Amino acid sequence: MGTISLEHSDRLYWLGRYTERFFTTMKALGRQFDKMIGTEHGYADYLNCFGLPDIYADNRDFIRRMLFDNGNAHSAAYSLERAYDNGIVLREEISTDSLSFLQMAKDTLTKAEQSSNVRLALLPLEDIVYGFWGSINEHIYDDEIRNIIYIGKTIERLDMYIRLKYPFDVVEKEFIRLLKNLNRVPKGTPYRYSTKYLSDLVEILGTEDDYRQGADKAVDSLGHLFETEEVPA
Amino acid sequence: MTQQVQFTKAVGNANEINELLRRYGVKFGIYKNGVFNEQFFPFDPIPRVITAEDFKSMEKGLAQRVNALNEFLFDIYHEKKIVRDGVIPEDFIYISKGYLAECEGITPKNNVYSHISGIDLVQAKDGEWYILEDNLRIPSGASYPLIARDLTRIAAPQAFEENSIIDNRGYAELLKSTMEYVNCGGARAILTPGRYNAAYFEHSYLAELTGSVLVQNDELFVEDNILYHHTYSGGKSRIGVLYRRISDEYLDPLTFLPESLIGIPNLMEAYRSGNVAIINAPGNGVADDKGIYYFVPKMIKYYLGEEPILKNAPTYLPFYEKDMKYVMEHLDTLVIKDVAEAGGYGVVFGSDLTKEKLEEFRKTIIAEPRRFIAQEVIDFLDLPIVEGDETVMRKADLRAFVLSGEKTKVWASGLTRFSRNPDSFVVNSSQGGGFKDTWVLSR
Repeated sequence: MGTISLEHSDRLYWLGRYTERFFTTMKALGRQFDKMIGTEHGYADYLNCFGLPDIYADNRDFIRRMLFDNGNAHSAAYSLERAYDNGIVLREEISTDSLSFLQMAKDTLTKAEQSSNVRLALLPLEDIVYGFWGSINEHIYDDEIRNIIYIGKTIERLDMYIRLKYPFDVVEKEFIRLLKNLNRVPKGTPYRYSTKYLSDLVEILGTEDDYRQGADKAVDSLGHLFETEEVPA
Repeated sequence: MTQQVQFTKAVGNANEINELLRRYGVKFGIYKNGVFNEQFFPFDPIPRVITAEDFKSMEKGLAQRVNALNEFLFDIYHEKKIVRDGVIPEDFIYISKGYLAECEGITPKNNVYSHISGIDLVQAKDGEWYILEDNLRIPSGASYPLIARDLTRIAAPQAFEENSIIDNRGYAELLKSTMEYVNCGGARAILTPGRYNAAYFEHSYLAELTGSVLVQNDELFVEDNILYHHTYSGGKSRIGVLYRRISDEYLDPLTFLPESLIGIPNLMEAYRSGNVAIINAPGNGVADDKGIYYFVPKMIKYYLGEEPILKNAPTYLPFYEKDMKYVMEHLDTLVIKDVAEAGGYGVVFGSDLTKEKLEEFRKTIIAEPRRFIAQEVIDFLDLPIVEGDETVMRKADLRAFVLSGEKTKVWASGLTRFSRNPDSFVVNSSQGGGFKDTWVLSR
């Protein structure tokens, strides 16, 4: 990996994280949408997962602000915007084609906000994000660059899955995926993970019981696994 | 087939093309009241069409002009024969903000100063082309017709089946070979001020297409007179040619602005030593100064011994007594340009001024004659633009791109910019203008 700068490597990592955060948030809100039908303030469990206060007037207010409010750091729109912010400075690494999927996602989300059937209008977003990842695979020939994005993606997915209390077997599969990605990080690069926090994760995610009891610690360890700072927008 | 019928083929797909341009993020940045906004660059699907015959003559004229300008730059930073021989008064050289004493005696690799020249032209109603200005520092805009062509071919393939249009998509290869011609050994890099620059889309798109590294100044450093790029793994990678998209004064704080926080210390020394090529060469501003524009036809005769093929717009320099008299007598019909301004700023049409303003302006010109040039307003050809369901006529210019490598080559395309305001001649994107593709017919 001859010519990529340290800043770009951080951008790649955060591109992976924010794209995944957007995707998982969208999917989780889709399920939440369904669960809320026929209930009042049916989103309390979702907010609990993230330790967020209930500042929403009703189900509709919750879902719209969680989807479309750019000023809400927990919204899908916010994550997508941050993914785009990172992607736009990586054009020559990820390609114009890959970047175009993020632009399409932004446009689709904007259109969905005006739609009378939001859930239906959001469906193409899943295809677009899958298209984005396909394009990343297709256009990035450097394994190390691709691996950094995937590390970001997998860490984010684990973080979200653990917060959202996904079943152990699902989390375990993602953790194995992360371990494989970490194994691909060459020795001697600055992009090294903390062995201490990795050991903690191995312990916590070793059995279903440990997972149930140590979820908070697992989220904390994931956050410290790479001591890399987010590059300011 | 008439032009109107050709155009309609592309117009039929206007929405599709604009959707594609959105999808591929064809944007430019603009600051208004200190706030940065990214905007989609409005694209009009009706192309400007240049006939093969017109292009043939334009191509020769543009190459001739750029060759003379390159000769001029070499001369000005070396012997200054053109000044000594009285062709250009020295005032116009040394007062120019673009003249950099720091570049005296520097000879860029293969003597190329202006590797990428953006020459702005307009076509008058009688079909004659006039040069409006030369841009030899960091002319931008090639990426827009380049990507628009690619997308138009997807959205309106029939338009290209039925017309013999020269494919313009070789620009990246042309740029790459221009960069390689002066490469001093190492990677190709494009230096951008960053995402919040108006032309960031272009910087990143051209980096992608030419396989160059896109860098910001803090990723570069000079060691032992060699320019390097800090790499991710803590190493360094040599840069042999730097296509910089930042102004001269921000290139090297040790040479230009000591108070500047940006720039690469010692870059100019590495450049002076011939260890890195800078595209375009620092100091080119002296040749694209609006005052120097007046002298370009004289340069062509002086350096090349040829008659200029392309005409300048009729221009007057208030610096000369005779011209000052003419300007004072015709101020209300001329367009006055402040030589220090760019991007459509500092352009005043005498006919737009009230009597009081005209008098005020007259005094300013008398007080600072070197600061202004005056030009006749060319009644240039309006081009059709799609506006809603209608086709309307608007003012448009053409930025032609001339690349100087082993040979001087004119890109068979260009950026056609148009005004969206029916009463305006100002076509700059920063002033709300849009763009069109430029088709050059092969026969």
